[in-house]
Amino acid sequence: MKRGDLVDPRKHFGDVVTALAEGRPELVVLSADSSSGSGLSGFKKRYPDRHLEFGIMEQGVIAIAAGMATTGKLPVVAAIAPFMTARPFEMVRNDLGYMRQNVKVVGRSGGLSYGDLGPTHQSIDDFALLRTIPGMTVFAPGDPVEITRAVEAALAHAGPVYIRIGSPPIPVVYDSPDQCTLALGKGTVVSQGSDVAMIATGAALPRAQAAAAALKAEGISVRLISMGCLKPLDEELVRAAARDLGRIVTVEEHYVSCGLGAAVATLLAGDRPVPMCMLGVPDRFPSSGPYEDVVRNVGLQPDQIAEAVRRFLR
Amino acid sequence: MDTSVPELRRQALRIRRYILRLIKAGKAGHVGGALSAADLTAALFFAVMRMRPEQPDWPDRDRFVLSAGHKAMLLYAALAARGFIPEEVLDTYGSHGCKLPGHPDMHKLPGVEASTGALGHGLPLAVGMALGLRLSGRASRVFALMGDGEQAEGSIWEAAAAASHHKLSNLVGIVDCNGLQISGPTVEVMSYEPLHERWRAFGWEVRRIDGHDLPLVLRTLEAVPFHPDRPSLIVADTVKSRGVPFMEGKLEYHYWKPPAAELARAEQELEAAAEVPA
Repeated sequence: MKRGDLVDPRKHFGDVVTALAEGRPELVVLSADSSSGSGLSGFKKRYPDRHLEFGIMEQGVIAIAAGMATTGKLPVVAAIAPFMTARPFEMVRNDLGYMRQNVKVVGRSGGLSYGDLGPTHQSIDDFALLRTIPGMTVFAPGDPVEITRAVEAALAHAGPVYIRIGSPPIPVVYDSPDQCTLALGKGTVVSQGSDVAMIATGAALPRAQAAAAALKAEGISVRLISMGCLKPLDEELVRAAARDLGRIVTVEEHYVSCGLGAAVATLLAGDRPVPMCMLGVPDRFPSSGPYEDVVRNVGLQPDQIAEAVRRFLR
Repeated sequence: MDTSVPELRRQALRIRRYILRLIKAGKAGHVGGALSAADLTAALFFAVMRMRPEQPDWPDRDRFVLSAGHKAMLLYAALAARGFIPEEVLDTYGSHGCKLPGHPDMHKLPGVEASTGALGHGLPLAVGMALGLRLSGRASRVFALMGDGEQAEGSIWEAAAAASHHKLSNLVGIVDCNGLQISGPTVEVMSYEPLHERWRAFGWEVRRIDGHDLPLVLRTLEAVPFHPDRPSLIVADTVKSRGVPFMEGKLEYHYWKPPAAELARAEQELEAAAEVPA
């Protein structure tokens, strides 16, 4: 994979899980009629005894995964993001969070991925919901390299983890995988800059990168930070951005009221408040239509991000 | 260990005494459903389940999941009676930060397999345990105690379908069918009767018994699995607040904040009504 290559995030995720399942006999995959759409058909083929199907039963599957984890299994459950978060939220909170069970929940086709399928299938509140759970780790990898890192970190961590991935193909944003420092509680400085910090997460990362490139051509220098782990938040990276640059833009496919921007603002409000521009989904149910159009409708295309930054800096 | 019926009667009485001791300490609790399932629980803890109180995390133990987590006093009483916890711990019930919250916390007490309380979680958790144990090649069984009001939770039926689909013969569900929930008689609030037929239709092998007939309870529990490829389900018809005559079958004792005199009367009636050989 080299920078700019387009990769199917679901297939890549499934390939990473299947590769990491080697030597981890405790790893099992639970499907809510969702494995084929989550890139896990290869896992099912290779490890049929460790792949368990339950049908469209998301509440049940989360609780069942928690029960399996109490016996030493390492369950991975992947399905369409709202059906792994909003729908079975109480199971995630009680059975994984309160019970501290070692289950990896993957919300795929997250954010606005399902623009065409409409608000029932879009997931723009999952960061907010999952962040409220004590002990929960929340990843939103922004490119294929970050997906690999997030899955590795999730499996290495003993505790509940949520990973949001999208479904439209995403470009590799890193020149080299070594550049990516994503880990539990660690983000990445993708590129240095001196005028403003832009912190992006998940599928918003490549668009933020494109916006930063456009701004650079105009002489606006952006420090681009990828926050592929929303909880625990990389406080050092955020504080350094506030200290060094004094202005922060956040970009996310999530309600602005309660996602990455809110997490950054909450942290900085305590000790280093700086002006912020939070880009994301406003307080309404998004439109339905082709993904790129829905992203434009909420103002998250690169030219819209760049324009918001220009206004912010004026 | 003596697993005779007279001994189980003694242990069931002990569990009921402990439930009243808990409510004396905590001054409030879900007493009716704790007392109604005391005979079932005595049979499980003192005759049927393979457990080691001195080694509560023994990997080959049978699991007891209190799906009806509001019967927490029942679980605490059984754990004390069976020797998982010293009985003095019961006297801390209701105090701030105690190890015996109003619903059980698996990280606070040995022998608590799941942090239940929100209804409809315990059975799917038990399904996961049964699957995990079977995948690991262990002979352990999982016993999930549900309430009859809890049957209205959709997640119960998701788990019911999953258990039969995956042929979990190492899973035993028990419904403490005491007929009363907080708003009134269960058949009036939201009827799932005929309950045994619904479970049968979901692919479980079902028995419906008198949950206070200890010889029958014991025979039934000792006969699991009822079918080699199916999960087992026992609908146990019981009486709310069983064991304390003036409270039996009365809705107001679902959750009880006993005035001192009423609690004293309950203690007296429990002893007077006990059919226990000397």
